[in-house]
Amino acid sequence: MVLGACIAVGLLALAVRLYRLQITRGDEFVQKSVANALKEVRIPADRGMILDARKDVLVDNRPSFDLQITPAFCLHCKEEVIPQLASYLGWDATQVLKAEAQLKAVKREAIFQPVTVWIDLTKDDPERVKLDTLNAHKMDLPGVDVVQAPHRNYRTIFLDHDGKPSNGLAPLIGYMQEINESEFDHLNADGAGYQLGDYVGRIGIEKAFESSLRGEDGKREEVVDARGEPLPMLNGLLVASSTVEPVPGHNVILSIDARLQEEAEHAFKGTAGAVVAVDVHTGFIKAMMSRPAFDPNLMTGRVSRAQLEAMSKDPLLPMIFRAVQQQYAPGSTFKPIAMLAALRSGQYTEHSTYTCTGGYRLGNRTWRCFVDRGHGHLDIKHAIQASCDAFFYHLGDVVGLDVMANMALDLGLGQPTGIGVVQEVPGIMPTVAYYDRVAGGYQRYMALNSAIGQGDDNVTPIQLVYAYATIANGGTLYQPQVVQRVESQDGEVLETFAPKVVRKIDLDPDQRKLVIEGLAAVVNEPGGTAYGHGLKKIKMAGKTGTAQVKRIGTEHHVKKDTLSYFERDNAWFVGFAPAEDPEIAVVALTEHAGFGGTESAPVVAAVIQKYFDLKDEDSGVTATADASHVARPVAPHAPVPDVPKPTAPPPAPHQGSAHDPSDAPRSGPPTDSSAAKPPEPPAEEVADPATAPPGSVPPPETAEVPPPPPAKTLPPPSEPERAGPEEGERKPMATPPPPPPEEAH
Amino acid sequence: MQLRIERRMIAHVPWVMLFAAVAIASLGVWNLASASHHAGKIGELLQESGHATAHGSAWTGQAAFVLVGLAVIVVAALFDYKLLYRIAVPFYALAFAAELALKIAGHRAKGAESWLQLGPVRFQPSEFVKIGIVLMLAAFFHDDYRPNDPGYGFLRLIRPVLIALVPAALILSQPDLGSTMMIVFTATTVILFARVRWWVIASMLVGMAALSGVIWNDYIRDPTDGHRTVVRQLLKKHQSRRIESWLNPDADVKGAAYHAAQSMIAVGSGELTGKGWGQGTQTGLSFLPEQHTDFIFSVWAEEHGFVLCMLLLFLYGVLLLSSLTIGITARDRFGAFVAVGVTSMIFWQVFDNIGMVIGLLPVTGITLPLMSYGGSSMLSVFASIGLLVNISMRRHVF
Repeated sequence: MVLGACIAVGLLALAVRLYRLQITRGDEFVQKSVANALKEVRIPADRGMILDARKDVLVDNRPSFDLQITPAFCLHCKEEVIPQLASYLGWDATQVLKAEAQLKAVKREAIFQPVTVWIDLTKDDPERVKLDTLNAHKMDLPGVDVVQAPHRNYRTIFLDHDGKPSNGLAPLIGYMQEINESEFDHLNADGAGYQLGDYVGRIGIEKAFESSLRGEDGKREEVVDARGEPLPMLNGLLVASSTVEPVPGHNVILSIDARLQEEAEHAFKGTAGAVVAVDVHTGFIKAMMSRPAFDPNLMTGRVSRAQLEAMSKDPLLPMIFRAVQQQYAPGSTFKPIAMLAALRSGQYTEHSTYTCTGGYRLGNRTWRCFVDRGHGHLDIKHAIQASCDAFFYHLGDVVGLDVMANMALDLGLGQPTGIGVVQEVPGIMPTVAYYDRVAGGYQRYMALNSAIGQGDDNVTPIQLVYAYATIANGGTLYQPQVVQRVESQDGEVLETFAPKVVRKIDLDPDQRKLVIEGLAAVVNEPGGTAYGHGLKKIKMAGKTGTAQVKRIGTEHHVKKDTLSYFERDNAWFVGFAPAEDPEIAVVALTEHAGFGGTESAPVVAAVIQKYFDLKDEDSGVTATADASHVARPVAPHAPVPDVPKPTAPPPAPHQGSAHDPSDAPRSGPPTDSSAAKPPEPPAEEVADPATAPPGSVPPPETAEVPPPPPAKTLPPPSEPERAGPEEGERKPMATPPPPPPEEAH
Repeated sequence: MQLRIERRMIAHVPWVMLFAAVAIASLGVWNLASASHHAGKIGELLQESGHATAHGSAWTGQAAFVLVGLAVIVVAALFDYKLLYRIAVPFYALAFAAELALKIAGHRAKGAESWLQLGPVRFQPSEFVKIGIVLMLAAFFHDDYRPNDPGYGFLRLIRPVLIALVPAALILSQPDLGSTMMIVFTATTVILFARVRWWVIASMLVGMAALSGVIWNDYIRDPTDGHRTVVRQLLKKHQSRRIESWLNPDADVKGAAYHAAQSMIAVGSGELTGKGWGQGTQTGLSFLPEQHTDFIFSVWAEEHGFVLCMLLLFLYGVLLLSSLTIGITARDRFGAFVAVGVTSMIFWQVFDNIGMVIGLLPVTGITLPLMSYGGSSMLSVFASIGLLVNISMRRHVF
């Protein structure tokens, strides 16, 4: 009897438990059983495209395959599945560890969500061998799925002059990389639904417009068996399928014109540098390149550690966006700004002149002009045209540092431009207060260095071109912008970006006109430092700059045989056109290339010419038949015809002292924290004897430019034996550190 | 030895018990057909797509085993069970030897040795060891009859306890925790049936309390503080994990508790009336491991729901109570002890298996008598039932 009761009680206990499971908690378990067999499959949204100003595709997507593992279905994942995958896909130990870590990090409630462990299966496998292998072994790989996922396709690779690929636009466009922890947290803060393994824009437009480009992923539910194997024929059997269609991302339309960009990348022949072309009336950027640059397709894929390391060790710093992230001494490109400052201060008038005798004496020392025997008597226009150092030493000494600095700051130099979509460095525009903060304080000679764009003057290429654009448009400093619109896939305009004015400054029209005349003469009149680089139909204005190197990187990382490269001067040219009513401003900086007139001016000229060609083309006017749009000098060493002899006074006898190393101009920078760089003797504007022999016959292309200025203002002819500007001009600079400056009495 | 079936013996054939056993076995075949075949909508689709499960023909095999089992009942009922009394010792010894042979050269299945290959036949010696122990204990208590005895004290229990514990220890070393537990429970039931002194029961209660304490110490206390464990270090890892997952089934759905959790989902999602024959998704989509054998009850529960689960429990109740009646009304102590032993053996298996499926007890790998797929289990249960029939038929034959 007791045993019978025990049996009854035992069976009753089972019955009670069954009641609790099946009746009390039945609904809960029904849900669980449904969830068991349902796998949520993500339908990735197509990321929006990045288009150029004419809606030509710069970045789009191409089909590719990603590998996902759903932890819940991946039995013996670590022991069997991952080793198998590793052998099929040729993973190294690092990748195996990464995949294991990814799966380990999955939280319990997320085990039914697939984790992407390997992207772009067909990337280096066009025959799809790996894909086929995986499909063939699918039964041995529970929980492993190969899913179609669109992958980013950067079409921004142009060709340089050698026909080699050039990624000059890449730093602006950016690239995408796997979401990291902090991005995961802050991007998901507003419920964006990013998952581990997702790719996000890491820099550039891809990052800045991530939320517009991304779109919204859809999802679909599939019936699967315990191995995660989809049973499509069972879909709809268990529950009404709840499919959410993905919403594709929006397209971002840039102001960049791919054709102009292509021209910039083609025309730029230097090893390293930057080009920026700007619409002076809106501040929208039409072309923007930086060289060397990374390959965005590589960066967005499975870039290997070795490749990243090689890039970070490259002394040419391919990850630096030179147009905005590197600052350089502006050199002589600063002179027109110093001139505007002097005119605005009233201390100079349009009639101001100065006689260059080859140097400017301050105290008992002489600041040399790059033309040893002097430029002679110069007015404002010709001082700019010939880029006379002595004129500007004098100017700087007269007006003082702050007058020039204020003008430069008004024009946006030495401060962030606010471009936004990429990080930028602010540059430095030193004032008296700036130098007073450091040991030794402000010294009078510093204004001299500043006047020719040396000393601590440091600008980014984009700052410089916006400063010139401001001069060109009559005083409106725009904020740089590259994105014009955001449009939906259907072409509906969702957001339009209007020009943004940073500030309007008062530029006296006459003073502006005077400076622009000087800038036009640089290119178009004999004696100009970029004479011969003008354009046939368009009158271009601009300024060369040959700036003493501010070293990039550190010497220790540079091999000995490359040292000479890194010691060479940076070549600037910044200009705009048409000089009478400017539309476009372009800057070109060629690092360590030497003279701005020869290295960078042709780039700017080519871009400007292309701009006007395209303008004609787009408005239906047939372009000029002549394809060679860049004016070239007829012959660099053409015999000097009978041009009126310059009547400038002969060089002063004491001029020879300029060759005395002990008398070299002092330009030691203040010993502040930024003095890690070596002392910078002032760079000098170098007339390029090859391209601008004063008195050479004006090339026929420039026939319509105004006649040459009066003979008396012409600079003296440069001596034929001074063949290379580098050697000829640099020798005096190779001096021991100069003595401490002495106050002029 | 007489094989003669007398007329009056037919009158004492326990028809109710036989009906319950055959009913359960038939439901088992039907259930297995679902688990293996899935003739429902899911099954058709699965077959079209080549996803049909591997055990497609399991139910026909099981049906054959049932027919063989009925023959076994007849055979087991024919001879006088007194014969068993005489062969109890050799049977026990033989089963023990088979178990020992398995220990030395056995077929490994899932890390535990429990199958012995003998020519074309593969069998589990532990099934026979169980029966051997029941016979041996019955023979012991039959011989050790003392009228007006107040019950067994500790000293007199040494021999029966050894009879059960020695083979149990061998099976535990296989390792087969489930079968060991079955032997311990069954032997304890038989010993209790022989009447023991109150302090024996008291000390057993103390022992159970101690066991609970050990489980608490080894498995529930925070294991990170490095305290000493009592038995945990002696158990295999998978055994420890099963105990852990039983104690906390939600801890790790993918790992050790996967069986338990999936089984509870299957049972619970059956609700009142079930998903219908062949419609179980847990079964059809292979979420349930061991669904033909150890977890066959969850297939039943998922597809047929609470009502038919109650029916099944009712049939088991009828089977067990009627077989217990046979024990109580047996003509001699041997028959009574065999009947009680067999009954408790079936009961503990049913209780442990269903308890495991519905998450009451740890997962041990015990099959459900008359329902689970497999010849060894099926035939040994039918043989046991034959014995019960035998004992019942001869209750008035002296």
